[in-house]
Amino acid sequence: MPKTIARTALAAAILTMTGVPSMPADAKQPTYSRTYAEDRAEIEDLMARYLFAIDYFDWDSYVETFAPDGELEFASGTSKGRDAIRAAVTSFSSRIGQFYHTEDGKPAKLRHVVLQSSIRVEGNRGWGRTLWVEMANHGPKDTMKMGTYGIYEDEFVKLDGHWFIAKRRVLNEFLKGRESGPTNPVRDMDALAEASKK
Amino acid sequence: MSYAADRAEIEDLMARYLFAMDYHDADAYAGCFTEDGELDWAMGVAKGREAIRAEALSFKAKIGEIFKDSEGRPAKLRHAVCQKAIRIEGDRAWNTGFWWEMTNGGPDGSMMTPSFGIYEDELVREGGHWLFRRRKIYNEFLAGRESGPANPVRAMDAAA
Repeated sequence: MPKTIARTALAAAILTMTGVPSMPADAKQPTYSRTYAEDRAEIEDLMARYLFAIDYFDWDSYVETFAPDGELEFASGTSKGRDAIRAAVTSFSSRIGQFYHTEDGKPAKLRHVVLQSSIRVEGNRGWGRTLWVEMANHGPKDTMKMGTYGIYEDEFVKLDGHWFIAKRRVLNEFLKGRESGPTNPVRDMDALAEASKK
Repeated sequence: MSYAADRAEIEDLMARYLFAMDYHDADAYAGCFTEDGELDWAMGVAKGREAIRAEALSFKAKIGEIFKDSEGRPAKLRHAVCQKAIRIEGDRAWNTGFWWEMTNGGPDGSMMTPSFGIYEDELVREGGHWLFRRRKIYNEFLAGRESGPANPVRAMDAAA
């Protein structure tokens, strides 16, 4: 058993015996604002539009999901501003066909999927941690194959009533050096959201 | 609170639960349950937040035994939730949700999808926060842990 785990277990056991409330302050659930559901619904829509834009090569729509000074960090590097983001993703997209293709060499139909998201909203700022997976028709005999998964670590900003991506980090558990963790990514998101209130 | 507001918070709780689980954050995991919460899963029933925390501390080792990558290291297990049917009545709620899981345990480190199942949950709002009072995890690939055959939403609706 790793030392840290043993220590935590011991600490938990001691707290139980002494009757001190065992819940660490930092493991509490967030307090959500009255408009959380509304903001979350719009942010979820933004994340869906982002993926449709990528998978259908609609780079105008894609860059518009970012704030004008938005930032994208993915395997190819970091780009700031819509023009730089467009240049980075179109270049990446033209190369991806080498890895994702059908048996006769045509570009595969790559589809990204978003699964659960934890989202924090404080005023006009938001943060997200979202699990993603991708699939394409590049399996044997052009069958469906799920290739990789990872998470998005996002910052959102509301400008003139619309939510945009202020910063997106795309992490992929199958790319060396781009893996998420090992700590719970929600912890660092909570720290950012709490710090913004001060 | 409107249904949409409660549902948004409950959906966030479900996501936070899975991040805590998959990144082995036992404190955050136990923090998703009430003090008297109950976790009923493949390896037993844990009652109370402390028991659940202890159970969560053992997840890493238990899961590492079952799910390995092609080189024998513990695989990166990720759980995903898809559709959720959620009922809310005041400070109580019920969820029937579909889950599946993926790992990097396939040949040469490729992706694998070992199993799927459902969650049957009872939730309560305490001190303004939605928490699990009881989560039962069904897995269609484990004998004795399968859901159904009846539509699980019927039982949930009856309870609500």
